[in-house]
Amino acid sequence: MSEYNKPIPVPSQESQPYWDGLRERKLMMPRCDDCNSYWFPPSLLCPRCNSSKWTWTKTSGRGRIYSYVVYHRVYHPAFAQEVPYAVAVVELDEGPRMYSNVIGVPPDALSCDMKVEVAYEPITDAITLPKFRPVAA
Amino acid sequence: MSALRDKYAIVGTGKSRLGQVGANSLALLEEAIKNALDEAGLTNKDVDGVVVRGPDDVYSHHQLVAARLGVDASFSTSLDNGGASQILSIILAVMAIEAGLATTVVCGYGRDSWSRTHAKGGAGIAQNDLIPAAQRPKEHGPEFGHFGAVSQHAFGARRHMFEYGTTRDDFAAVAMAFREHALRNPEAVMKKPMTREDYYKARLIVDPFGMFDCSLNSDGAGAVVVTSAERARSLKQKPVLIKGFATHNNTKGWIEEDHMLSTGAVDSGERAFKMAGLGPKDVDTTQIYDCFTYMVLTQLEDYGFCKKGEGGEFVRSGALRMEGSLPTNTSGGQLSEAHVEGMLQIVEGARQLQGVYGVGRQVPDAEIALISGHGGNQVCHSTLILGRA
Repeated sequence: MSEYNKPIPVPSQESQPYWDGLRERKLMMPRCDDCNSYWFPPSLLCPRCNSSKWTWTKTSGRGRIYSYVVYHRVYHPAFAQEVPYAVAVVELDEGPRMYSNVIGVPPDALSCDMKVEVAYEPITDAITLPKFRPVAA
Repeated sequence: MSALRDKYAIVGTGKSRLGQVGANSLALLEEAIKNALDEAGLTNKDVDGVVVRGPDDVYSHHQLVAARLGVDASFSTSLDNGGASQILSIILAVMAIEAGLATTVVCGYGRDSWSRTHAKGGAGIAQNDLIPAAQRPKEHGPEFGHFGAVSQHAFGARRHMFEYGTTRDDFAAVAMAFREHALRNPEAVMKKPMTREDYYKARLIVDPFGMFDCSLNSDGAGAVVVTSAERARSLKQKPVLIKGFATHNNTKGWIEEDHMLSTGAVDSGERAFKMAGLGPKDVDTTQIYDCFTYMVLTQLEDYGFCKKGEGGEFVRSGALRMEGSLPTNTSGGQLSEAHVEGMLQIVEGARQLQGVYGVGRQVPDAEIALISGHGGNQVCHSTLILGRA
């Protein structure tokens, strides 16, 4: 197996539980104990009601493509062999939006509002990436 | 806010050389400020305020600029609102003068992106690579191959296409109109006409954006001098009156809510129009922050020049052309003149109202100009409405 040379996420104190969850194949997000909303990326207060009482909670891992783009220009040498590749903004059923890749289909098969579900891709012992694949309608 | 309407004025405007200049950003800004002061008939002895911005890695920017000008400032600072900073610098200048903190403020922005991306020759590195490492995301993006501003705006374009049926033909209409304007502007970097075929033949950068959807990579600077309308009466140039302004930052985030479809122009536009006592129908020319073609279309909707979702039809009608109903980015804009993060839009808006241009370059009888600024992490927005004195 060739060496993995794409950017490897550097967890922060705030995001470490998120990456720990992914390693166990769980897509975890902060969920407010007071107003029940989820948010991402993790931060100290619920952005909706500013409550500091919240719990790391497993999401369904299901959502839709809110928008997507197809990279033709190479901005990082490790992606030179990947272009054209798609990056999506995925909206989870629980609400939060996140950047990811949609795997298993070519970029021209994507569309906004397409249903997707999480697919776990381990890249190191510590880091597993949350990617997405289309859900059969 | 309407108490400030027409109370302050732009009394001088200046540009540096534009394009592949090879000078550093501070020198370019110095050049533009000197030109603005000369046009105003003022010198550094008259300046007691400096509000500026430069490339993001130049620390203590306003101090460096004021030192070059030989100015001890009673009010000076550097801004951090990306492409929305340049209008904000004028707003801050007005606030400072109103508060008695300064009397005559220079506002400006300079960048040397072309030189820095081509420092080692060849085809050049991406502008993303100019962002200091400490400011780049470490997670939740780069691991997926997601980098920079082109794709962020392309997400908005894609969603707009999905929701409203907007097409790349609409984006082409924006790019082609501004290119026509650039051909009438000797200072513009782009000198060749652009056909629809040229637009589609250009390589894709981040689909749906091709090369001609993206603003230029330029060296350049612009500057203006702001003082009271009362003081302006005794100065060399016919002043341009500051009629309205506002900011609105969708700081929750570009990918949150409907922000990539509906920008801070909605709120900042409404309040700027209210301050000016004007509406979209009163505007003779707009200078819209055109980092990407799509951003022109969506901001025109947000300002109320057409309904949300009808921007495609509006730009395809030819409205933005010099002969159209709303001549827009009449210098060629950032897509075809030079990309100086909105500063040249302010200069162009002011000069159109001074009526300095000849036939074909001048918007006939221009009395009101609306100018926009957009930037930061795609969320900061500012609006400036200027009027002929």
